[in-house]
Amino acid sequence: MKSTNSNKLLKIFLYITLFTILAPMAILILWIFVGRWPWPNLLPATYSLRAIKEIFAPYSNVFSILFSSILLSLSVAILSAIIATITARALVLYDFIGKTVIEFLTIAPILVPGAVFAMGIHIVFIKLSLADTVLGVIIIHLIYTLPYTINIMKDLTESVGKQMEVQAYVLGASPLKSFIYITFPLLTPGIMASISMAYITSFSQYFITLLIGGGTVKSFNVLMVPFIAKGDRSLSSAYALVFIISTLLVFLIIDKIIKKLPYQDNKEEI
Amino acid sequence: MNKRKLSSFLAIIMVLFLIAGCSGNKEHPNIVKDSDSNVTPKTEVFDPNMSFDKILEEAKGDTVSFYGWGGDEDRNKWLSQTVAPILKERYDITLEVVGMDIDNILAKLAGEKQAGLEEGSIDMIWINGENFYSAKENDLLFGPFAEQLPNFEKYIDTEDEEVKNDFGFTIDGYEAPYGKAQMVFINDSATTSETPKNAEEFMEYCKKYEGKVTYPALPDFTGSAFVRTLIYDVVGHEQFLNMEADKEIVKAAIEPALEYLKELNKYLWNQGKTFPATSGEVNNMFEDGELVMTMSYGPYSVATGIEKGIYNETVRTFLFDKGTVGNTNYMAIAKNSPNKAAAMVAINEIISAEIQATQFEELRSLPVVSYDKLTDAEKESFDKINIGKGVLPQDELLSKRLPEMPANIVPIIEEIWLEEIIGK
Repeated sequence: MKSTNSNKLLKIFLYITLFTILAPMAILILWIFVGRWPWPNLLPATYSLRAIKEIFAPYSNVFSILFSSILLSLSVAILSAIIATITARALVLYDFIGKTVIEFLTIAPILVPGAVFAMGIHIVFIKLSLADTVLGVIIIHLIYTLPYTINIMKDLTESVGKQMEVQAYVLGASPLKSFIYITFPLLTPGIMASISMAYITSFSQYFITLLIGGGTVKSFNVLMVPFIAKGDRSLSSAYALVFIISTLLVFLIIDKIIKKLPYQDNKEEI
Repeated sequence: MNKRKLSSFLAIIMVLFLIAGCSGNKEHPNIVKDSDSNVTPKTEVFDPNMSFDKILEEAKGDTVSFYGWGGDEDRNKWLSQTVAPILKERYDITLEVVGMDIDNILAKLAGEKQAGLEEGSIDMIWINGENFYSAKENDLLFGPFAEQLPNFEKYIDTEDEEVKNDFGFTIDGYEAPYGKAQMVFINDSATTSETPKNAEEFMEYCKKYEGKVTYPALPDFTGSAFVRTLIYDVVGHEQFLNMEADKEIVKAAIEPALEYLKELNKYLWNQGKTFPATSGEVNNMFEDGELVMTMSYGPYSVATGIEKGIYNETVRTFLFDKGTVGNTNYMAIAKNSPNKAAAMVAINEIISAEIQATQFEELRSLPVVSYDKLTDAEKESFDKINIGKGVLPQDELLSKRLPEMPANIVPIIEEIWLEEIIGK
């Protein structure tokens, strides 16, 4: 009896959550087609395809920029996950001089205010000839994503521990083999979470992309934000929807790829 | 043990790579500097005074990046669909339009200057007013180049106050006019029949429609210009043109206007306790019927709004009898631009009668060319343009156009407004 009650409560809670997510989405989609929507009309007074035409117009380059933006953020995400895995292993499984300093430095980028950090690193990047290059933007996004990914990986590495690997060594496996067959599968959920987290962090960066990319590296956000800042609700909604759909698609694909990995299903048996 | 050795070895290698990569790149600008005779002849040697044919020759095949605010989809379209093809076809110049706020553009240029970067990525900049003042003061711009453009002499009225000065600050050839803007007021004749003709009538209007009028909080560009227009109407505009940029002096001069604004607050939206942050918000509130009036720096924005279906057909534009502030926006060239020749050619083309006519037609931006200097055919190309519904003819706008205050007074007024008006 008690459990069904709490189940009901849970269900109500879920529906409310779903509603708070879906209702704004529905309004967002409606806004794309709004011409005028004066108060106190419940529905728009006029509809227009202006925003849709603008998004699909060849001169606005929305989809080519979206595509390169996804590629950029994906490479950032994957690099970030790789670096985070390595760093987390070093921090959790090994002792070395300066470990606490490095541990602290991994969260430093989110402790410093963004604008201050951006202005300073911009000058450094100009001196390194990294400003206005894709490589520069990837590096700066990495700096912003690493605090999240390293901490995700650190927790997981800690809970997975070294025992399984040691077991494999005992049975005669090489370090590479034991990593591929033992450690990596165990870390996969964390790696996937890291990739998703890093992707969304990178994809949402605006100011830093603009400053380091200098306008030569165009990201979807750099294109979208001026319209939101200007308050053009139809166009902003259209851009926002493209943003949401593209991100969901990328997450879906990452999820599918991870699930396809052969050892995912045997994980429980290990 | 072995593994630890391996990982520390790897770590050392990675650090070495990083250091090598950094130092290698660090030397890069110096290398360019040492051998610039054959690597970067353009930036070092480029002379805007050489014959324009030579400049055309040098510009051929170049790509010129035009940085400016990217939130105007019509302007983006016009630049990429109308201007870019003409530049490509006639001069083999590729125009790249980059959307970036002027604050960020200046931050970028300042950073590049600080780092000593001699070849940046910005060629042309869409700029005016305070930003031009600070950019020129900080030596971020290239020039003088404007007088060297053939079309400058041919089409622009060189004696015009707005061609010589930008917000009271001498231009000296460091920027060329791009388009003209003027503050206009907008309301809907279906909801309010009045069109206030001066500050007093505007106060009455706000009393009648209490809580349904407001303006964007300063330092929003439009809100700031709106407040300056009200100040001009209350205390006159001539005294500001040579005014010293001293807070006490400015405050004393605008004292009656401050009283007026404080009184006005009582009848504004939310009793003037808060103001919408941007002109976009004020426009949205007007479109939604939450406000009965809005204002714009684009004198023909009503026409494009009606065409897009954002405004009712009954929306119209009006001005104060004494006039409203107007200014010109300009194109400048960055000091570290790598394609100065191409930038000059592009700017020269944009100030031509032909491009200005397309700008007027597609964007309804007031042209910068002098009507008297045009040939009959060119005059015809401007005359035939249908400016659309709900707007005022160009001659009425220009006859009620007041000059901007000096650039360094504008921030002082914005500061005083934040201290004295909002929430008071």
